[in-house]
Amino acid sequence: MYTLLWLQGLTCNGNTQSLLNAENPSFYTLFDKINLLYHPSISYDVDLFEIINQIKNDKLPLTFLVVEGSITSDKRFFSIGDYSIAQIIDALKEKADYIIAVGNCACFGNIPANFDKNSDVKGLQFRFKEKKGFLPSNFKSKKGYPVINISGCPIHPQWFVSTILNLLYKKPVYLDGFNRPKELYMYLTHDGCTRNEYFEWKVELEEFGHKEGCLFYNQGCRGPLTHSPCNKVLWNNTSSKTRAGMPCIGCTEFDFPLRENFFETKKNMGIPEEVPIGVSKRVYITITGVAKTLKNERVNKRLEETE
Amino acid sequence: MPEITKTVLNRVEGEITLKLIWENDVIKDAFIIAPNFRGFEFILEGKPPLDALVITPRICGICGHAHLMASTFALEQIYKSAGYKLEISEKARLIRNITLACEIIQNHIRWFYIFVYPDFLSLENKVSLKDFEPIKGKKWRKAVDFSSKIVKIISIFGGQWPHTSYSLPGGVMCEPTNMEIVSAVGIVDEVLRYFEEDIIGMNIEDYLQITSLREFINKSSGDLATFIKLSKKFHLHKTGRAYNRFISVADFDTLFCSGITSRKKRLFDIKKVKEVDTYSYLLKDKSFSFDKKKYSWSKAVRYEGLPYETGPLARQINSENQLFLNLNKKLRDSYLVRIWARVDEIGKLLVFVKNCLKKINIKEPSYIKPVKDIKELEGEGYGLVEAARGSLIHRVSVKEGKIKDYNIITPSVWNLGPRCRKYLSPAEKAIIGQKSELTAHMILRSFDVCSVCTTH
Repeated sequence: MYTLLWLQGLTCNGNTQSLLNAENPSFYTLFDKINLLYHPSISYDVDLFEIINQIKNDKLPLTFLVVEGSITSDKRFFSIGDYSIAQIIDALKEKADYIIAVGNCACFGNIPANFDKNSDVKGLQFRFKEKKGFLPSNFKSKKGYPVINISGCPIHPQWFVSTILNLLYKKPVYLDGFNRPKELYMYLTHDGCTRNEYFEWKVELEEFGHKEGCLFYNQGCRGPLTHSPCNKVLWNNTSSKTRAGMPCIGCTEFDFPLRENFFETKKNMGIPEEVPIGVSKRVYITITGVAKTLKNERVNKRLEETE
Repeated sequence: MPEITKTVLNRVEGEITLKLIWENDVIKDAFIIAPNFRGFEFILEGKPPLDALVITPRICGICGHAHLMASTFALEQIYKSAGYKLEISEKARLIRNITLACEIIQNHIRWFYIFVYPDFLSLENKVSLKDFEPIKGKKWRKAVDFSSKIVKIISIFGGQWPHTSYSLPGGVMCEPTNMEIVSAVGIVDEVLRYFEEDIIGMNIEDYLQITSLREFINKSSGDLATFIKLSKKFHLHKTGRAYNRFISVADFDTLFCSGITSRKKRLFDIKKVKEVDTYSYLLKDKSFSFDKKKYSWSKAVRYEGLPYETGPLARQINSENQLFLNLNKKLRDSYLVRIWARVDEIGKLLVFVKNCLKKINIKEPSYIKPVKDIKELEGEGYGLVEAARGSLIHRVSVKEGKIKDYNIITPSVWNLGPRCRKYLSPAEKAIIGQKSELTAHMILRSFDVCSVCTTH
């Protein structure tokens, strides 16, 4: 029997809400194969502490321990009954085959870790960039994985569903440097964006509210700097922020809440301070110059007016 | 000797602890404890003003879009109070209304099936309600599917749901095509058909003519009618009453009116809203106190010193809807009436969204750049929004290009905040007198508890 226990720390519940949107397959069809032991938004006739006790006493196996939200051991700021979320995870960490952090709060601490009146807010295994999360940096769950981080604020539901299915079907899950499933986070948000043609030819969006133009140069878009398949696995199976016209804010990365001015591109003498992953500033300047010199007529027109 | 029980309540947004004081098997007092705190108002201090558009939606995963709108409006008001003209196209205004309404529709469908209905599985025999069982039940699954379908419209305009920040002072960031707009109309039609077939069990035009409980029950066999019959069976049509005083802080286009209704309806005045920190760990001056009598991270909020209920029922009463005026006259602000008002809104909002979609003129601009960068302005602005759970108030002050202070009063603070010296919160009051813990939980859920918003 496969089982899944869902716990929440300091969270907005957004990953749960996002997960309910899953299609192909739906979130709930996962539970044809897995016994959902407890989820705070879903369960109706089970007692969380009874379940925790049964797992602790080896009366219930725990395949997946899923955590949404940041961790704090300060009970003044977060408690479930008489316990802190840190105490509960501590009691279960040796029992789970896999521990999965869903969302940037559980992965890196995220926005709640920016609250300076509670300095004890962390992700499960990371605090922002550093491996100084709640669990030790060398921690591995029973099946030999560190905490598997599914980052994003919120996560795309398919990322979670695919990761769970991959583990269920006993396929290896390769992880990147932040312990995120490589097959999901090897893409950049930029990949598949409908504005890519404008990026290639360096046709910048001057102001918000247009289908045409790239958001990288003026609007602070992090698409070429952010690891996520947001434009490959579309949101709500429909669109993505950059497709709609909103810049990527880099919410799958550890530094998301540490950055400021989300809708501006930091520039120095007209050159973005950060250039796309994989190229040097020199290369970026050269390719920009070339693209601007060799004008592409199509990308300088309104889409409706193109041939 | 009074007995004390303390339960962690699930099937709410986030988690709430309910402490009950019993005497002779009757609840004598109830304390709604919101034990978790993330410090959003602290985190926002010193940030560039527009970053609020990214940060505040993350207060809540289910009504984050309402926070986005409140931040947008609050920042826009800074322009106006500084004497600058800020133009918003009709197109941008319609699109904002559409996406906000879709989030509310999503919330109400999920809440009714995922949070409310399962309580009846514990009261009624499970066989007759097996379709409502979490995860497995056909109707539970359908509710998840259709609530996920309606937010596709937010994705069309804003790129994703939850947590887009596509609205900003001056308009919206998207430029939809007519093809995208009509596909949104198609989505509304599908969800509307589901609402008619499954939830109200009749067509929407007939439903909107209904003015009494009996008339509805006689004509409908949908899930709402089943819910009403179950509520009556367990006496929940006459229980769970709070103060019968209602607040709505903003008009929802022409659909719902703002107002204050106790005996008579009056106009809402923001100056009469006051926060009270007597029983809150968080004090008004942003310091903390863990004094023994304190029990929640939420402050209380009062209007002219009195507690008011906010939410869909308040909107219906303040908009003088005939059905709800009649229900309220007969049953007051009971469990049944409160929940029916939420479910009722799904239909009205769907019709509203469809009308707004048809009115969009794609030739208008989506965004009209404000004449000045907001960092060059100083001042204070309010953002008033009717969110899924009711009245949401953001107040932002900007100085020297940064957020100087940000204060948020969520709908759940109105309904579920702690007591003040004189009065219990509406939800605390509604629970008193109950004889079972389960019905106490059900009444609390009828307010659509969002603990993540309550404390933020």
